[in-house]
Amino acid sequence: MDLKIRKHGETYIIDVNGEMDLYNSYKLKELVMKMLEKKVERFIINMENVDYIDSSGIGALIYICSTIKKMNLRLMICNIHGSVKKVIELTKLMGYFPIAGTVEDAIQKIATP
Amino acid sequence: MSHDIKELIINENHPLFDRTGMFFKEFPSDFRQIRYFTLLVVQKAPPEIKEINLLEQQISEIIKNAVKHGNRNNPEKKIRVWYSFSTGHAHLIVEDEGEGFQGIEEWNLFNRKRVEAFLSQDFDDLGNYVSYRTTRSDEHDGGNAMFAAVEYWNDGVVFNNVHNAVAVGKTFPQRRVGLEID
Repeated sequence: MDLKIRKHGETYIIDVNGEMDLYNSYKLKELVMKMLEKKVERFIINMENVDYIDSSGIGALIYICSTIKKMNLRLMICNIHGSVKKVIELTKLMGYFPIAGTVEDAIQKIATP
Repeated sequence: MSHDIKELIINENHPLFDRTGMFFKEFPSDFRQIRYFTLLVVQKAPPEIKEINLLEQQISEIIKNAVKHGNRNNPEKKIRVWYSFSTGHAHLIVEDEGEGFQGIEEWNLFNRKRVEAFLSQDFDDLGNYVSYRTTRSDEHDGGNAMFAAVEYWNDGVVFNNVHNAVAVGKTFPQRRVGLEID
C-alpha cells in the first residue's frame, strides 16, 4: 500500500493505492496521527485505487474516524467501490463512516459546516 | 418489526462440520504467510464465483483468527483447513491448536447490541459497538472481522464444543438461464 498526500485549500487529500490488509493498514493510521500532530483539520481519504480491504483496514478507518470525530475535526472517505464497499456494508458501517461519492463531492461536503 | 440477528453457533454435529469430499491442507502458524495460505485455498474456487476478492478476504480472516488468536503465532502449532467450492457454494473448516474462543456468548450479545443500534440508525450508539475487543486484542486487531463473517457466510458460522474449530458455509445465488413459459 502506498499513500500520497495532496492539498486542496485547507483540505488534505490522502490517496490510498493498493491493498489495505493486515500487514500495512497501520501505515494509514500512523500518517493521519502525524497529520493531526501538525494541526491538520480537514481530511479526505480517497479509496479509488483500493480493491481489497480486510478487518485491519476497516479497523484503521474506524480508529481514524472516531479520533477525528472526538476532536470535532472533518473527515470524508470517498470512492469506495467493489469488495471494499461490500465489506463496509457487511460490517454495517455505511452510516457510521462519513462517505462521499467522489473527491469533488467530498471537497464540497467537507466545506459545508 | 422483528429482525433475525445472526449469531455464532456452537454445535460440532452441525452439517457444516461434515468433512466428506473436502480438500485438506495443514499450515504452520506463520502470520507473515496468512494471505499466501489463503491464496492456496482459494485457488480451488471456480472463476465463475463473483466477488472472488471478497471470498478471499473472508477466508483470510478465518485463517488469521486461527493463527493469531488461536495458536498465538506459535510456529510449533499448526492450523488445519478443509475446503470445498463450486459455482453455488463455498465451505471451509479451520481448526487450530489453541484453547478455543471462549467469548462466543459475550460476542453474540455485543453483536446484538451493535445490530440493534444499526437498525435504529443510532450512529452515536453504533460507535460504541464498532470494534469487539478483549484483553488480548492488540492495536492491529480491527475487532470487526466476525461482524462481516456472520453476514457473509449465509449457511452459518459454527464452532465445535472446544471452540477451536470453526466451520463456515456460503450459498451463492445462481443465475437463471432460459425462458420462463406460462
